Amino acid sequence: MLLSLNRMGPGRYALYSIGVLVALFLLFPILFIALLSFGSSQWLQFPPPGWTLKWYRDFFDDPRWIAAILTSLKVGLCVMALSIALGLPAAFALVRGSFPGRVALRAFFTSPMIVPIVILAIALYAVFLRLGLNGTFIGFVAAHLILALPFSIICIVNALEGFDEAIEKAAIVCGASKLEAICRITLPSIRLGIFAGALFSFLISWDEVVLGIFMASPSLQTLPVKMWTTLRQDLSPVIAAASTLLIVVTMAVMALAAFIRRRSEP
Amino acid sequence: MRSTLRRGRAWPLRGFGPALPALVFLFVFMVAPLAVLFLRSVTEPTLGLGNYAELLGDATYGRVLFNTFTVATVVTVVTLALGYPVAWLLVILPSRVARWLFAIILLSMWTNLLARTYGWMVLLQRTGVINRTLMDLGLISEPLPLVNNLAGVTIGMTYIMLPFIILPLHATLSAIDPAIMQAASIAGARPRQIFFRVLLPLSLPGIGAGCLMVFVMALGYYVTPALLGGASTTMLAELIAQQVQSLLNWGLGSAAAFILLTVTLILYAIYVRAIGLGRPQ
Repeated sequence: MLLSLNRMGPGRYALYSIGVLVALFLLFPILFIALLSFGSSQWLQFPPPGWTLKWYRDFFDDPRWIAAILTSLKVGLCVMALSIALGLPAAFALVRGSFPGRVALRAFFTSPMIVPIVILAIALYAVFLRLGLNGTFIGFVAAHLILALPFSIICIVNALEGFDEAIEKAAIVCGASKLEAICRITLPSIRLGIFAGALFSFLISWDEVVLGIFMASPSLQTLPVKMWTTLRQDLSPVIAAASTLLIVVTMAVMALAAFIRRRSEP
Repeated sequence: MRSTLRRGRAWPLRGFGPALPALVFLFVFMVAPLAVLFLRSVTEPTLGLGNYAELLGDATYGRVLFNTFTVATVVTVVTLALGYPVAWLLVILPSRVARWLFAIILLSMWTNLLARTYGWMVLLQRTGVINRTLMDLGLISEPLPLVNNLAGVTIGMTYIMLPFIILPLHATLSAIDPAIMQAASIAGARPRQIFFRVLLPLSLPGIGAGCLMVFVMALGYYVTPALLGGASTTMLAELIAQQVQSLLNWGLGSAAAFILLTVTLILYAIYVRAIGLGRPQ
């Protein structure tokens, strides 16, 4: 009854309108920035008096923005690799292990998602200052990895729980070694979970800003940190261009994820 | 083969080894730094709970706590009011349309936080599109103060939190068997009764999960309040950052951080109690 549209009566028009309004509310700032980034007004007039690619040119002509993109990419890829390297074995332990405290360990591994990031940021800032890791590449990777790890562990745990261990055992009975069975049977079967974990880990790192604000040095900044410091000064249209590029990257990653998902479905 | 298996079973930490690298990493980079931070909150400038007393007793800090809880509450209520109908729509719309709505929600959720906040900064400013449109329509004569105050923070945070309430609500609503609603209808209940006495109670777990998640996230949010808020509307996360970064007052900053962490953990414990750890079905 209330779960089918045509029998709901006039109430459904209220639902429709809220749905449309929320969809517009969610899309509005994103479309707005994208349009603005092509507008010629330095003062972000809307509708723009004319159209230009000037802000994109400014963006790509500034070596600091390019350096920030490269830093973000490098950090993101390292975080992605390490997140899988640590998360994959941890997921195996959580699913296959039979030790006391397994549930508690699982909760602990997801705890970085709960701790407010600003607290983590100042805690790391204090320790990194002492260790000389502030504003270093390793510092960025370690900090982002804390946030990315829960996502890769959750994704792989979910995939592993859906995989029948008997298939792996069958391979061992047929003469494969344990390692062979895992590498040639189990890992290929849970590869979607691993991909998803890797993708999430990259996106977490790519978007992370709070940890970066505290750590960044003028010489090493990720893209969001560079945006933050620029935003603190003025609302320059170059940020609109940078934002639009980020939105395009997000859409590309989402499309990739959808493509992988579609291919996996029979 | 059999003997190794048996030996393996006797070992109480069977299968624990692979978790070790991740565990060590989180201990070194998360637990230890947090522990150091806590020590600073009770030792700087003097040993004792002075920092906590100052935070909870002083009117200025009281104001910050009040701002934080007010914004978190308002954001939670507004996201629920907007998110529930959307989650409901996602369940009952034809899947072609629902897929588009889903894509919009995910796009907004995964778009860079700063990009979205920047959008709102531009939209809400004195000479921004919203004020201009309202003035051109003759609805207002002076630009509304929409930014650098709690209104701006609330709008920006509502925008960011909406997906986080829609998704759990959608999960709950889509698990409800439509036959139950049909049964209520056959038994003579009117739509309004069905909503308040069947659908709403059945969706309470999703409402609880979504609201707690949004509330907890809103309490500790830093970026949006810092950019859309003003000097007089400091929230807790900003206070922590200010104390540490600009005033180098580590004792007070750490104490504020631990008050925030304690509230967060208590709310999270309630969440786990009520909903469970979210084991996949």
